[in-house]
Amino acid sequence: MERQDHDSPSAQVDIEVTINGERFRNRVPARLLLSDFIRDVAGLTGTHVGCEHGVCGACTVIVDGDAARSCSLLAVQVDGCTIRTVEDLATDGGLCPMQQAFHENLALQCGFCTPGFLMTLESVDPQDFADADDLFALLSGHLCRCTGYQNIIKAVASVWNEAIEPHGGRFQS
Amino acid sequence: MAVEEIPQISPIIRHRTSHLGRAVPRREDRSALLGQSQYVADIRLPGMVEVAFVRSGEPHALIRSIDTSPAEQIEGVVKVVTAHDLDGVEQFPHFIEYNQPVDQFPLARDRVRYVGSPYAAVVAMDRYVAEDAVNLVAAATDFEPLPTVTTIDQALAEDAPLLYEGWPDNRLTTALIENPAVDRAFEEADHTFSETYTSQRQTGLPIETRGVVAALREGQLTVWTSNQSPHIARTTIALVLGVPEPEVRVIAPAMGGGFGPKCHVYPEEIVVPWLAMTLNRPVRWVEDRAEHLVSSVHARDQRHDVEIAYDDDGTIRGIRVHSIGNVGSGEIFMPGTAPTFVTGGSISGAYELPNIEIQTTCVVTNKTPSGAYRGFGIPEAALVRERIIDRVALLTGVDRVELRRRLVLREDQLPFRMPAGGIVDSGSHARSFERGLEMAEPLLTDARERYADDPDVRVGIGYANYVEPTAPTYHLTTGFWAGYDSATLRVDGDGKARVSLGLAAIGQGAETTAASVVAEALSLQPSDVTVVMGDTERSPYGLGAWGSRGAIVMSGSILMAADRLLEKARRIAAHMLEAGDEDIVQDVVLRDGFFFVEEDPDQRVGWPEVATAAWARTVDLPEGMEPGLESSGYYDPSDLEHTADEAGRLNAAATWANGTHIAIVSVRLSTGEIKIEDYVVVHDCGRMLHPGLVEGQVHGGVAQGIAGSLYEHLQYDSDTARPQFASFLEYLVPTCAEIPKLTLDHFESYAPHMPLGVKGAGEGGTIGGPAAITGAVSDALAEFGVFVTATPITPVTIRAALRPTGSGEAS
Ligand code: FES
Ligand code: FES
Repeated sequence: MERQDHDSPSAQVDIEVTINGERFRNRVPARLLLSDFIRDVAGLTGTHVGCEHGVCGACTVIVDGDAARSCSLLAVQVDGCTIRTVEDLATDGGLCPMQQAFHENLALQCGFCTPGFLMTLESVDPQDFADADDLFALLSGHLCRCTGYQNIIKAVASVWNEAIEPHGGRFQS
Repeated sequence: MAVEEIPQISPIIRHRTSHLGRAVPRREDRSALLGQSQYVADIRLPGMVEVAFVRSGEPHALIRSIDTSPAEQIEGVVKVVTAHDLDGVEQFPHFIEYNQPVDQFPLARDRVRYVGSPYAAVVAMDRYVAEDAVNLVAAATDFEPLPTVTTIDQALAEDAPLLYEGWPDNRLTTALIENPAVDRAFEEADHTFSETYTSQRQTGLPIETRGVVAALREGQLTVWTSNQSPHIARTTIALVLGVPEPEVRVIAPAMGGGFGPKCHVYPEEIVVPWLAMTLNRPVRWVEDRAEHLVSSVHARDQRHDVEIAYDDDGTIRGIRVHSIGNVGSGEIFMPGTAPTFVTGGSISGAYELPNIEIQTTCVVTNKTPSGAYRGFGIPEAALVRERIIDRVALLTGVDRVELRRRLVLREDQLPFRMPAGGIVDSGSHARSFERGLEMAEPLLTDARERYADDPDVRVGIGYANYVEPTAPTYHLTTGFWAGYDSATLRVDGDGKARVSLGLAAIGQGAETTAASVVAEALSLQPSDVTVVMGDTERSPYGLGAWGSRGAIVMSGSILMAADRLLEKARRIAAHMLEAGDEDIVQDVVLRDGFFFVEEDPDQRVGWPEVATAAWARTVDLPEGMEPGLESSGYYDPSDLEHTADEAGRLNAAATWANGTHIAIVSVRLSTGEIKIEDYVVVHDCGRMLHPGLVEGQVHGGVAQGIAGSLYEHLQYDSDTARPQFASFLEYLVPTCAEIPKLTLDHFESYAPHMPLGVKGAGEGGTIGGPAAITGAVSDALAEFGVFVTATPITPVTIRAALRPTGSGEAS
């Protein structure tokens, strides 16, 4: 990373980031949020911004394997990182199993919160979840104003119950 | 489904199957799931610049001067404008006669009246630079602070500072409907009782904030805006900017939730287009959340002073309600007065409560203007009504359920004229209540058992029965628009249909439903139907998505358009079947996409042949017939009234849905923690076009009702009128951990006068929450003499009420 005077609002930094398998090398303002980098520089507008202060979860992406709030990171902080966004979930133009489950269970209405939920779910291993309370804890970092969460939980249960069948389908509701 | 079960579908149609009432997959989902939906913030145009607004940090002040020059020096700043730069821009129109006129310019001119009031705008190359400049403008503004008004009592005080010069006081509006029967009831009743109920300030809070993009394209001003009523926005923008309406195009792209706040036309929807015209380049503004919390309308800030006249046997003889809405500064188009009137009109709900006197007052204060939020005054009315019933039960010793059973509307009473004028044409009020009780009983037993060994926990149950006015008049709200909506329907040469609607899609699945209704009406498959919404250039004028009207007005206008189109298609088909003489035309029917005569079903023509004759091979048309296969329907619900009679009564909605909410809560005495253990909903919105979508509306609505009962509160410092919230850390939106699994059931009481028998479903979910939950918490704590009279109920209010010195009123 090329170091410059980061105190000035106009300070620029060179970064290199891989997003959904594509390499981006850009000179960006030091203060540019990762969410703005993804949306404005990389042009991937599936990552949404609902609060810009780290609460609503709409901006969630996966950074080096872990879910992260892109509104609460600077682009310069992910220099050298590999990022996945919602645009990376579908396989050959088809919906991934969780997307399909959201569709079938009416787990989205306006869809604004949906990419964030999907990325958090994508980042974890269902085997690590002992019961529904663990799932609530995981998803309680996401706000949805439309669904009252009912069908989101149903959708996740429909996918995860299969994944964790050895433990006995605990999310069945 | 047989044809006779589908009221008001054209008799030409002979059905085998119905697309209605089925779980048709949502057509909106794919792009949303793939991250490809285009919301306003996703729009990028070549040469686009960004706007940020300078908002008042003062609750009430005169603007002495604004020095824009320091901001203009910043590299990347394109322009800084204040109110006095807005050449040719008018103030927002005054349409509502019953209100004091509020002169609202898109940017505050010489005086600000709430924290968040926009008074200048900065255009810059990017949002970061624009915000730098905003800080400089704010620092270079010289305010002269004025005394502030925060609460209703402060606003109504004799010596209150006035927000508007020339007004006699801070009353934006006031109305009293006198009722001599109520006076008699109070004279004759065994007892009277007075109490005050309050509902706190909240907001609809779509997860997508507002946003506006504007550009001049081929001489036309195009405005993309996250607005629930694009046509109304267009009319207003043209009026305020002084631009001919045909030269304005408004597009409401994918919307990340509406919930009411996006019904209004805001200053930014004027200033951003003005900047695009002035700079002759595309301009974008995306609201951030901190801005949203002070600049998008608030709601539900109401107090109700109630007097009840009742007899020893629990008979409620009469009720006097003075509903006072704290509507903030009032600087919003349309003004925020209507919800308080709707509260007054909704007090009786699903009950026979004949003698009600309603006084309504709206006061202005130095808070953010209030306006629409899902429920629009009705959840507040439900709170008042159900608290009254629980109070009378407590005073007389009559059981709460028994008292409700006496009052709830029975089918033999329908149609029922409510005291405020609403005509409840159909419904399952008593049946819903009984069904709800039946569903709640085992849940209550379970909840009690769960906590049987925990002496620190009490369990309680609370009830609400409501009616929901659906497809209401907009005249009371706007003083201008009324109640219709529209559809234009076309069948193209390949036999596929396109429908354009005056409605806008706000994320509730309206496109999916519209395609099903068109498919039903034209005997096509939903996949044969393209739906266009939310673009004033591509759809006929309509009033938009609010008031739980979508399903009704969409069905009505589509069926009208379809009837006209089918009439013509049938004549073309008859001609092609060489059944050209008039008698035989009447025998042509349509089934599974084919036109034929019942006696000879093998001889048939399909939509592609008929439509091709209409558009291209016009030589195949009957002689003299005008080409084309397109028609429009402007549906204006016939039973809907827009102005009150002499007694102040009006049937303000096209039809009335109903429902029952029952909440089961636990309260932990040591901490005051409240948990919703179970929540039962019985919902009746007439015929359900898509049960899954209806359920989704109920789910989301209930979550908002719970939110308003326990969590969400836009608090102001009552001495300074300063907001005590700036983020989701202060404004607590419930997550999946706070919303319990809901227990739902439905009835379908078809609306006798509505197309397809539908009623609206958008708001019912929000209505019962505060009423049922305050009732449940009061029940849980009854042994301590606690009777909840206000929302939100929090651990703090619970602990205060439980303190030995406490009054027993949790408020
Ligand atoms: S936008 Fe990042 S958490 Fe809300
Ligand atoms: S679907 Fe609209 S916010 Fe979740």
